[in-house]
Amino acid sequence: MKTVILAVAIRILIPIFIIFSVYTLFRGHNHPGGGFIGGLIGAIAFVFHTMTHGPQQTVDTFLKINLYGYPRQPNQSRSLYLMRMMRVNVWRRRKMAHHPEIKERMIRVEPIYIIATGLLLAAGSGVVGLVFGQPFMHAYWADFYIPIIGKPGTPILFDIGVYLLVIGVVLKITFVMSEE
Amino acid sequence: MNHLLIMLPLLIPLFGAILSLFSWRYVRAQQVIGILAQACMLIASFLLLFDVNDNGIRTTQVGSWPAPFGISLVADLFSSMMVITSSIIGMAIYLFSIKGLDKARQTFGYYPVLLILQMGVSGACLTGDLFNLFVWFEVLLICCFVLIALGGTKPQLEGAIKYVTINFLASGFLLTGIGVVYGILGSLNLAELAVLVRTPVSHPALITMAGMFFLIAFGIKAAIFPLFFWLPASYHTPPIAISAFIAGMLTKVGMYALIRLFTLVFVTDQELTIPLFTVLAGFTMVIGVFGAASQNDFRKILSFHIVSQIGYMLMGLALFTPLAIAGSVYFIIHNILVKTNLFLISGVVAHNRGTFALKKLGGVYLQHPFLSVLFFISAFSLAGIPPFSGFWGKFMLAKAGFEIDSFVIVLVSLAVSLITIFSMTKIWNEVFWKNKPETDPLDDVVTAREKKDNRLLHLPVLFLVLFILFIGVYAEPVVSMAQLAAEQLLNSELYINAVLKK
Repeated sequence: MKTVILAVAIRILIPIFIIFSVYTLFRGHNHPGGGFIGGLIGAIAFVFHTMTHGPQQTVDTFLKINLYGYPRQPNQSRSLYLMRMMRVNVWRRRKMAHHPEIKERMIRVEPIYIIATGLLLAAGSGVVGLVFGQPFMHAYWADFYIPIIGKPGTPILFDIGVYLLVIGVVLKITFVMSEE
Repeated sequence: MNHLLIMLPLLIPLFGAILSLFSWRYVRAQQVIGILAQACMLIASFLLLFDVNDNGIRTTQVGSWPAPFGISLVADLFSSMMVITSSIIGMAIYLFSIKGLDKARQTFGYYPVLLILQMGVSGACLTGDLFNLFVWFEVLLICCFVLIALGGTKPQLEGAIKYVTINFLASGFLLTGIGVVYGILGSLNLAELAVLVRTPVSHPALITMAGMFFLIAFGIKAAIFPLFFWLPASYHTPPIAISAFIAGMLTKVGMYALIRLFTLVFVTDQELTIPLFTVLAGFTMVIGVFGAASQNDFRKILSFHIVSQIGYMLMGLALFTPLAIAGSVYFIIHNILVKTNLFLISGVVAHNRGTFALKKLGGVYLQHPFLSVLFFISAFSLAGIPPFSGFWGKFMLAKAGFEIDSFVIVLVSLAVSLITIFSMTKIWNEVFWKNKPETDPLDDVVTAREKKDNRLLHLPVLFLVLFILFIGVYAEPVVSMAQLAAEQLLNSELYINAVLKK
């Protein structure tokens, strides 16, 4: 479904969706919101992008990163090599992409790994209580206060886990459905 | 410490599944993770059983919210015996699937889903909250749907749709029942419900009605007489590793929930429930065994026998004496092991011969005498020949029946045993004893690799037979544990005090 209006609008809407979803995620402990609903709102951004540009484009834009580099020369110092690699990948990406010596390496995030990470975070946040001899999912809160986010604690880890899980599942479903 | 012990049967499969998801592309790694998780699970569940056996009912409150408000997890003897049995057959199924399941299915998430299914079984057995029971049954339903449909062949999809449709209906009944209970009593914690139904102000008729919702819901899940038809229609479709786990475990979890609820909560109107259960148990046994006698497919015979055996477990609940409930508990444990093992044996036979149809099979005794011995032990355990395990379960049930003069149901159960022997003998004659039908001689050539695979396939069967022999020949500790479990089930005070900490 290629429409110009949606394609233009979605470029402005995606950051709004994502910022709003993160906002919903963090206000969730004492107000309506939380990981599940935040994840769904965040997933809308990707779903709309897939609807306008197709799944391949979504993967290329959001879930894939190309790293550029070349093998280290025998007598080149390691720190110099690392700094050059960083410069290649951070500042001069476009130029380096067509450089003859530079090789491309693609890192792609599959939705299944987002799901697994989310599950691990959510389940891991519950284990913290067990480690200290309390029941599963016993909440632990930090003593300090971060502006905007508030007091960090194990429940927010759980919510972030759910957020990632929901985004991963929706992405997977969207990709599979739009391929058919 | 008890917080950790109760959580471990849930956490080990969960973390195993997460790690398997991370190694999505590496089937070998998933196999290793799965086997390790099963081994840990086996150890953890034995530790849980010893702990419960020494210290009585153990509880934990998830998230530290106190009992009637938060989520309680309760481990008594019955539930920890269920967890152990599930981890034993989980181990066997994992060992079997490495060689017994095709690579395509293994790559599409078979291992993580099976681990989540096991978490669901542990959760349903350990939860002390009605709504959580529903959630765990949904976990079971979803995982079973994935496993039955995995691979997507036509008969599988047909079976999966039948399975899911009827089980959705069951979930609907279950949810309605939970809603009614919450509407009447205002709580979903099983211990608090047990207190509330025993106070005189409650409404006995409405509670009985809610109980009937639960009877229908778990009756469908456990395949009780008028509601069993989905089971033989769907259990023979997926590959054997999958159908062995589902067939061995899932109906018994339904039965577990039924026994738990009708000994703890819905005990107010026993003039209605006990005759009802007696009739249902009798019909379930008879119809199941006749269905099995008329079949000519290895797996279909076994599927119908599941239905028939469910009748025995229900019979214990219908007699409602301590000995009868102990018989039910013992019978459930025995039946999970034996039924899974029979399915696995049919899988080994089919792996060699490529078919489950009795007509095309034959001569297995000549080729695999050891497998035949293993089948013999399992089949005669199922039929209830002493000294094998089925005998003790049936003996306890029959004795409990005679003690309270319910002769009809005992006679029915003994007659059904005879017909069970008939169908086991039929399998023995057709598959193991009779001469092999004429086939292409090239099929009989066994390569060295196939021989090695075969040996690996025998391993889980042998593993289960050891446990079957243990609970049969050395029945005393298991039987006495079942009797203790029955005492705990019938003495609701113990459960209530443990959860509400009075």
